[in-house]
Amino acid sequence: MIVDYLIDIIPFAADWPGLVFVSVVIFCAVPVFLFIAVYALVAIYGELKVSSFMQDKIGPMGQGVGLHAGKWGLLQPIADALKLILKEDIIPTTADRKLFILAPFIVFIGAFISMAALPFSQTIIVADMNIGIFYILAVSSLGVIGIILAGWSSNNKWSLYGAMRSAAQIVSYEIPAGLSIIGVVMITGTLSMQGIIEHQSGFVWGILPNWIIFQNPFTFLSFFLFFISGVAECNRTPFDIPEAESELVAGAFTEYSGMRYAFFFLSEYANMFVVSGVAAAAFLGGWRSPIPGVLDTPGWGIMWFIGKSMFLIFMMMWFRWTWPRLRVDQLMSVCWKGFIPIAFFNIFGIGIWKLLIG
Amino acid sequence: MRAYLRTIWESVSTLVTGMTITWRHMVNIRKGNVTLQYPEERWPRPERDIGFDQDDYNVIRSRLHVDMDDCIGCLKCERVCPVDCIKIETEKVDKGEDIPDVGHTGITSNGTKKALLLTRFDIDMTECCYCNLCTYPCPEECIYMTGGPNSEKHPIDYEFSQFDRNDMVYRFAKEASEEQVEKATCVKNGEKKNG
Repeated sequence: MIVDYLIDIIPFAADWPGLVFVSVVIFCAVPVFLFIAVYALVAIYGELKVSSFMQDKIGPMGQGVGLHAGKWGLLQPIADALKLILKEDIIPTTADRKLFILAPFIVFIGAFISMAALPFSQTIIVADMNIGIFYILAVSSLGVIGIILAGWSSNNKWSLYGAMRSAAQIVSYEIPAGLSIIGVVMITGTLSMQGIIEHQSGFVWGILPNWIIFQNPFTFLSFFLFFISGVAECNRTPFDIPEAESELVAGAFTEYSGMRYAFFFLSEYANMFVVSGVAAAAFLGGWRSPIPGVLDTPGWGIMWFIGKSMFLIFMMMWFRWTWPRLRVDQLMSVCWKGFIPIAFFNIFGIGIWKLLIG
Repeated sequence: MRAYLRTIWESVSTLVTGMTITWRHMVNIRKGNVTLQYPEERWPRPERDIGFDQDDYNVIRSRLHVDMDDCIGCLKCERVCPVDCIKIETEKVDKGEDIPDVGHTGITSNGTKKALLLTRFDIDMTECCYCNLCTYPCPEECIYMTGGPNSEKHPIDYEFSQFDRNDMVYRFAKEASEEQVEKATCVKNGEKKNG
């Protein structure tokens, strides 16, 4: 979007592809990366605190001499990040060196370029493509290649098991996620993220905001299908069998340490934001205010969008610290025998609802 | 179909039940918190009932403390210590001079005349085995376990955690400058001053 502005404003920009590339990096990639980094710090802190509170603990706290985690442990994620940066970078001698080094970047790129189509507000979006939501579904599955590379190149049985499980899981859960999005696309008639949010203005049923989740019972079900499939795609508990620390050490990431592990960690949190962002944009009205017409300016839009996404991320944390992990066969049967039939049923139901009621 | 829907209902309702439990724990963290912020908060010490008044008998194995004003430097505690965690160095004192700054007041609270200046009295509490053997031979009763019958002299101190291992070595000898030590002792440059 910013590049479009640039080409409009500066007439000779289109003639110099190099300039366009540099401006894309400066105006889009760097802010998005900074956003991911800051958001990851906040989310890690939130996860530490939420998990502790749910277990009757108080989490990181800093007070007194020598316990320098700041007030309420606010500096804990920064200390964690520093520790990961300073740690020794170990590559096993039996590992496939090139693939081992490549894998974390592929996983991170999958999460990073998905952020390009997330609409933060009416005006703030890196690229408002006419296939926005399809693009996100497509590129977010790039990460599975990186996870398979990581598992294969580590030359370690835990890693390979984890990678295989992860591949099976992500590929399976893409289907109910995609089928739930089809319902949204049927209602809005567009694949563009901004177009989907534009459609959700005004009221429905008299008092509720006209978000797609409230529009009919099938979309209500679709939201939960999409969100739970998204949790599974992020490899979060209760679908964390690829990592399954009590079975597989750390799954595909077992042999990674230091900054390379940090990249996997960062991409897990970035993926969480992408899934939550898509769920917020497609079902919860994106940057629209919960009370239509009140505080609906672009500035508040950022707050609504990030607030809705953070709420869904909190839901993921809540899931993680409540529910036990599924077994491998349970995971597959939930997807293929549970979610996919319901998702097809939803598409059918949304179509009939649209035909009969409008 | 009925069984299918019932299965879905059961799984959803049980999952929601679990989530309400964790939610309750999260919002009631102020009441349910089990973590103690250790250096600031401590467990209350349980009352001790051992059949006799614990103030009469020293049954407490806590930190060793030395009242340096009473110590005459007899080295009995150093010799009795089974793990050699007490290190004492002494200098002979000039009869005439009395310098309170270095812990040399001439007479202890029991009335004994002090003949030695203690330049070093270190107790390494990482080595101490809390056998309490050093407190019995002390003629001035100046080395003791804190608390219990001695709580008037020194309050109980049984945790004494430190961030640095070297801080566990307690140095009781009062710091004295070389001048003061020279002034108080009769040994100067290897030769005796008064005789």
